[in-house]
Amino acid sequence: MSQQADIKFSDLAGIKPARLLTKTRGDKTIWALVFLLVLISLLVVYSATGSLAYKMYKGNTEVYLFKQIAFIAVGFCVIYFAHRVNYTIYSQVAKILFLLSIPLLLYTLLFGVTLNEGSRWIKLPIINMTMQTSDLAKLSLFMFLARLLSRKQNKIKDFKKGFLPVILPVAVTCLLIAPANLSTALLLGASCMLLLFIGRVSTKHLMLTISCAMIPVIFLVMAAVIKHKSSAGEEVAATTTKKEKSSKLFARVDTWISRVENFMYGSKEADNDNNYQTNQAKIAIAKGGAFGRGPGNSEQRNFLPQAYNDFIYAIIIEEYGLIGGAFIIFIYLVFLYRSIRLFKKCPYAFGAFLALGLSFTLVIQAMANMAVNVNLFPVTGVTLPLVSMGGSSFLFTCLSIGIILSVARNVEQLEGRKKMEALAKQEEEQEGEEQEEEVEEEPEEV
Amino acid sequence: MEIKRDILWRVYLSFLGVVLLSFIVLGRAFYIQNVEGDHWRSMSDSMHQRFVELDAERGTIYSEDGQMLSTSVPYFDLYMDFGADGLREKNGKRFKDNLDSFAISLSGMFPDKTSSEYKKELKQAYNTKDRYYLIKKGLSFEEYKEFRAFPLVRLGRNKSGIIAEVKSRRLNPFGLLAKRTIGLSRDNAQNVGLERRFDSLLKGTTGKRLVRFIAGGAAVPVEGYEIDPENGRDVITTLDIQMQDIVESALMKMMVQSASQYGTCLVMETKTGKIKAIANLGRDKNGDYGENLNYALQTTEPGSTIKLATLLAVLDHGTSRITDLVEVGSTGSAYVGVRNVNDAERAPKPVMTVRECFAHSSNVGMSKIAYKAFASEPDLYKNYLHKFHLDKRTGIDLVGEDAPVLPRLKRNKEGLHAMITASFGYAIEVSPLHTLMLYNAIANNGKMMKPYLVNRIRNNGVTVKEFEPTVLDEAIAKEKVVQAARNCMEAVTTEGTAKDVFKDSPFPVAGKTGTAHVAGGDIKYYDGVYQASFVGYFPADKPEYTCIVLIKTSPHAPMHYGGQLAAPVFKEIANKIYAMYVQGKKGMTLPVTADSSMFSYAGFTPDVRNVFEQVNMKPVDSAHKNTWSIIYSNNYKPVIKGNPVVKNQMPDLFHMTLKDALYELENRNMKVIVKGRGKVVAQDIAPGTAINNNQTVTLLLN
Repeated sequence: MSQQADIKFSDLAGIKPARLLTKTRGDKTIWALVFLLVLISLLVVYSATGSLAYKMYKGNTEVYLFKQIAFIAVGFCVIYFAHRVNYTIYSQVAKILFLLSIPLLLYTLLFGVTLNEGSRWIKLPIINMTMQTSDLAKLSLFMFLARLLSRKQNKIKDFKKGFLPVILPVAVTCLLIAPANLSTALLLGASCMLLLFIGRVSTKHLMLTISCAMIPVIFLVMAAVIKHKSSAGEEVAATTTKKEKSSKLFARVDTWISRVENFMYGSKEADNDNNYQTNQAKIAIAKGGAFGRGPGNSEQRNFLPQAYNDFIYAIIIEEYGLIGGAFIIFIYLVFLYRSIRLFKKCPYAFGAFLALGLSFTLVIQAMANMAVNVNLFPVTGVTLPLVSMGGSSFLFTCLSIGIILSVARNVEQLEGRKKMEALAKQEEEQEGEEQEEEVEEEPEEV
Repeated sequence: MEIKRDILWRVYLSFLGVVLLSFIVLGRAFYIQNVEGDHWRSMSDSMHQRFVELDAERGTIYSEDGQMLSTSVPYFDLYMDFGADGLREKNGKRFKDNLDSFAISLSGMFPDKTSSEYKKELKQAYNTKDRYYLIKKGLSFEEYKEFRAFPLVRLGRNKSGIIAEVKSRRLNPFGLLAKRTIGLSRDNAQNVGLERRFDSLLKGTTGKRLVRFIAGGAAVPVEGYEIDPENGRDVITTLDIQMQDIVESALMKMMVQSASQYGTCLVMETKTGKIKAIANLGRDKNGDYGENLNYALQTTEPGSTIKLATLLAVLDHGTSRITDLVEVGSTGSAYVGVRNVNDAERAPKPVMTVRECFAHSSNVGMSKIAYKAFASEPDLYKNYLHKFHLDKRTGIDLVGEDAPVLPRLKRNKEGLHAMITASFGYAIEVSPLHTLMLYNAIANNGKMMKPYLVNRIRNNGVTVKEFEPTVLDEAIAKEKVVQAARNCMEAVTTEGTAKDVFKDSPFPVAGKTGTAHVAGGDIKYYDGVYQASFVGYFPADKPEYTCIVLIKTSPHAPMHYGGQLAAPVFKEIANKIYAMYVQGKKGMTLPVTADSSMFSYAGFTPDVRNVFEQVNMKPVDSAHKNTWSIIYSNNYKPVIKGNPVVKNQMPDLFHMTLKDALYELENRNMKVIVKGRGKVVAQDIAPGTAINNNQTVTLLLN
């Protein structure tokens, strides 16, 4: 047999890929999904900021486009560096961040900048950017919960030793966020409940917690019912009592009540200022039809406040139709599915919980945003992760994705190592000790 | 792996929940689109698209010679929205930065408040977040242009919150002149005058436009959904602004002098019935006079001016001739048929001809001839009033003309009583316009013309409707009767009640005085209120214009006779109009110059001297300091002679270029009509004549 003069690709020395590329690891699918979402955000934000640009920059819409591009660039840096870090470090970081977020939330509550009604923001001194502290608190709480759940897994069914230490940070954070931003607190609480359910916390305890949390909510609903009935009877009395409540903490109570009231009673006939946003969002959805009006052809962006932010999903449906809306949901679901797969592969408890917790909460936030847009939930200030126009929440979302990818990278490496080991075992069955040492370094295996 | 499996089913359950939620979200979106879809889409249309009205521009009212009598000008009301985002953003940085300079600019333009006062008020409005704060009202376009360059304002509506509302205001460039007749166009009350009569034409049709509201509150018109507004038509009246000026000022002079209650005066072109001037002056509480009501259209007891109707009726009936003698007695009072009649002034002799009775305005004489004619059938007198169109409205193009009030002239004692009373102008009510129309018919040899005020209606310069003179009656009386009546009317100014006033008149005038002792409303006969009038035409031999002056005195006024109050006003008006219009029509007065030199130039003195200097000629310079000079040759030597011009006099424009002539004339506010090209060779107003504002001068160039 004459040797053929061809060379196999595998025999070639190989091109060394760019350094950045070789160092970029983690689930490729998740990376692709993030790219996709960011791309969509670029398109939609560019379109939706038209009105805002008109107001602020005399119609120079590119300002917001470049702002968004800048945010995306920074966001990718955050993802990259976060995923390069060994995720085990986040266990420590979670603890520190959480302990840090409590005083920060307190500070915000008392001295925060009032922006869009509630006082939820603090101004960062050097980079001169307002930051919603609840974003930081949320992330740190989720990370901290992953740590707690992984550590207390053995005694998780115990009320004192398992449940209380886990529920306490959740309760503290939610209570601190609630006065300024009740909806975020409720959403955060619900997400945490889900995580605790996943983390095998006793259902009995969870029900207890939920019923405790429901008490203020029921009060709110009752207040809304009473207000609605009284305002139907005598509007004057309602306004006078309204004026009496002027303390900072109670200032928001009125807003909540009226929002709940609008959600409960706001029929499609009622066309007043209060359900202006929902009506405009519905108009946007109705105008979109199945296939949409086409990119950049939204009309509702001019009437919908926060079209580029809280109500971006309505604009997506208007421009890209129900198909576009379904596609966005699909992306989030795939993302969640990939994270679940990651969880299945991840042999380590902290990593598994981290990936699950962060991805679930991210998708839940997305679902909440969409539900608000289609008027399933009352109006709350929840952004669509990675799609809404930049800001601190965008960067925090990037950070959590970076963390998920960091877990994925470790899982990948682990798999790679396992393959290597399997190969090695076939050839030399002597070396197996080193591996066990390494395992001890890692957090407890599930 | 026990624990991990336990977790895994929980994860899958949660994932299922999320999937379920996402289906609900999509389902909800589908529901909004397909079940509620129509509702939301139609709501969107109604919210974002709206028909806005496009105001039509109101037409202009012109005088016959093309002067604007009433026109619309825009004006601006300025407000400020202190809730504007641009103003308040960054804690009101833009407002605070611009506050000082804005307040200074404001006080510079409207010095009624100091800049610190403005600043204080603006600051307060900012703090209360006033969304509709009034800065100033009624800015003219020029002022608004200046305002737009102010600091803050120039940043635009979004940043400054400035709201400018454009409105249009009716402007009468000639002020008082014929104001009541031109009328008022107002939002909060009914229009009056021509503005009301022609309102439907003047106001035009409001247009409509479908607009879509977009970012920044701007409205974009939707193509294909626009109905253009139709601008109002222009109304060209028969009024002559110069005649109006003459009439108004002559009347005003007498009103002020006699402190009378009100006066009205109308000038009608005899041949056409065009109202050339109409003045209505009423006294207000402060004793000032203004055009407050159209007195020319109000009916009153006319007094002696109705005697023309009596005279015409009697003459036409054939029972008397103007040379017949009538015994009026020497007491100034006589019993006529059924009632006692008094004369206002004692007759000069006990027996007078009918002509003299008319000239001296003898009530006794006129009622006697009326009694003679219609004693048995007073209703015949009514037939004559009907024939003279005194029983119905004239039909002038104004709203609010009173209908005449006639007595019940039946064939009985009451009817006879009323007929005798009416024969000298009581128990009957007609308006000054009626009286004028009757006298005009006589001036026009019996042909009665309908009085009218509007020549034509124009739309963007194109005439859409032309009003021609209307003949109401080809002959209201026989030719002979008309001539006899004219004879009698001339006697009024030559030997009768108006003799003293018209004795030095350069042209013959015919007319009739009237003095009515009036009562009605709050006024009783014992209040001593009189209505003095004079109505007539000029020149009597070839009538061009008919004019009525009517003045209602204050109680117990020392002067109350028509010959004393009204006739002098008539005379002044007649003299001026005669000089300007009747004489002027006879052709241009070409100045005869003794200058037979070969050349003649006129020009600006320094320029003239400069020219001579340039060509090295030494003229005989006698221009001195005059601005204008004229050059001509004298004994083959050029001479520069000064051409003195005096401010309120007509300058000598001979041989001036049109440019120089226009400069001089327009500085005097004159209207210039130019014929031909070249240098001025003739002017229709002689140099040195006193000139009025807005007088028209015709220049002939060659």
